[in-house]
Amino acid sequence: MAGYTREVSKRVFAQEFRNSDLSFRDGDDIYSPQYLLTPTGAKVNRLFLVGTLLETENIGMENEYWRGRVADPTGSFLIYAGQYQPDAAHILAECETPAFVSVVGKPSTFTTPDGDVLTSIRPESINIVDEQTRDLWILDAALHTIKRIRSLDSNDEYISRAKEHYNTDAKYYSNMVLEALKILKT
Amino acid sequence: MERIVKEIQESFEQLGISIPAEQIEERLDKLLTKFKVPEGEARRTVINYFSKEYGVEKDQLFKKQTAEKSHIGDITSSGQWLNLRVKVLQLWDNTNESISQVGLIGDETGSVKFIKWARDALPDLEEGKSYILNNVVTNEWNGRFEITLNKTTTIKAISEDVVVSSSSPTADVKIGDISEAGQWVNISARVLQIWDNTNESISQVGLIGDETGSVKFIKWARDDLPDLEEGKSYRFNNLVVSEWNGRFEVGLNRTSSIEPLAEDIEIRPSSFTGAMVGIQEGSGLIKRCPECNRALTKGACVEHGKVEGNYDMRIKAILDDGNRIQDVLIGRELSEQLIGLSLEEAISLAADELDQSVVLTRMRAELIGKYYNVEGSPTERYLLADTVKKVSELDMSIVDELIDELEVE
Repeated sequence: MAGYTREVSKRVFAQEFRNSDLSFRDGDDIYSPQYLLTPTGAKVNRLFLVGTLLETENIGMENEYWRGRVADPTGSFLIYAGQYQPDAAHILAECETPAFVSVVGKPSTFTTPDGDVLTSIRPESINIVDEQTRDLWILDAALHTIKRIRSLDSNDEYISRAKEHYNTDAKYYSNMVLEALKILKT
Repeated sequence: MERIVKEIQESFEQLGISIPAEQIEERLDKLLTKFKVPEGEARRTVINYFSKEYGVEKDQLFKKQTAEKSHIGDITSSGQWLNLRVKVLQLWDNTNESISQVGLIGDETGSVKFIKWARDALPDLEEGKSYILNNVVTNEWNGRFEITLNKTTTIKAISEDVVVSSSSPTADVKIGDISEAGQWVNISARVLQIWDNTNESISQVGLIGDETGSVKFIKWARDDLPDLEEGKSYRFNNLVVSEWNGRFEVGLNRTSSIEPLAEDIEIRPSSFTGAMVGIQEGSGLIKRCPECNRALTKGACVEHGKVEGNYDMRIKAILDDGNRIQDVLIGRELSEQLIGLSLEEAISLAADELDQSVVLTRMRAELIGKYYNVEGSPTERYLLADTVKKVSELDMSIVDELIDELEVE
């Protein structure tokens, strides 16, 4: 089978995701996959996260367009779902908050008139899950983030690019992971 | 740290600039000790600072960095600049557009992985040919050295054949220990499957396994090695590990040998743990052809045309552990248990709703977004599930260990 391989879902904490603003296409045509490069060098085309859905709001005019805020121990993710994500929009419309949810989705960036880049997620699926799954995800995301932090010294092209763009402070991100893990002890 | 201070001092000295060691040390120490900046970053930052201070172009500095004529066996740290006389042992398949070539080079003292980036527009290397590579730099990746070519590298083809050490560090490993492309390994394993293969340059391709896991193998037509039989166990010497679509595979080559083993190698069912991130179409309530048992599409069998199908239930799940994807095929019994719905109940649910897809919708709602451990037998694409367990224990010992590590860092 040539060509298409599914992109792996990266594990990134909200704080790191929010600090990300470098997106690019791998290749020249409009069908080339789009990536968001995070400060620790995760090359994100798809994300998997579990957190607490705190609030939802229909911000659409004629068509429903739902926004949800999902928090992890480090911050929150914004999720936007409209008519092209009917299943996810349906969950956001129906779900009582707060609730533990998992989200599989694609990163998307928006540049404000002031030049700030805002990151959000276009969901492929949103599911209601349990606290256990949320805890498992925190450990999962911690392990992946630590692995990336420990590879920051390598000469890998994307890691170099991330360091150059964000001037990544390893200590800042390992503290973030530490604080997230401490949540599991309480 | 002294070593880096000296290195920086020397590279400026070559341009006739002398900087007191204390000045370099002070800046470096602050970055390394106080700000815990990675060594390479600190070094670069200090070099950048003094370059600006003394009005030196950075390129000048790095060009002056003298590469020495050396051997692969001399590689002891990352960041070394070398001139090598080598033979290209292997070029690996590569799907990363930013990499132009990747593979293995060797000389009298050993072999090492190399990477050539597309952006540097260097000429291509040919497998089996020898070259002088000037100005390459060493790099460490996952605890192993590799060399990268860069824009200052020159490549010169030479007619003589560089002798390659046959005592390349090939280790006896279990399949589960394979950790990196470029490793040379000896494996004792059982041939689990031989796959259909239409590629003329491949003589056999399939799956071998031992008690720690399984891995894809490729045997090339050009190498004239004996044929393997499914179910038999062999000792494989001198295989090289490569990576394809995020999975390891082992390749046989000219230097490989295959010895049949009298005793069967124990094999372990393959296992995968990850989050279920999707369920494919073709899952849920399906109908199968009564003649050949194939799943019907729109009520028709590819072989027998329109037939009255028999109901069945299955899940084609996509598991994802953040590093790689595993497609998992879950049969009727396990599917019934997972969604708490028997086949009969699923049939009547679909009849009530006048829609067969309600079962798939229910599967997606119940299962996606949670972590599962699956054991089963691997095929080329799917892991055929024998057991599927929702992961329910958070391993607190790992959490404690990580917290301890992060607190001392």
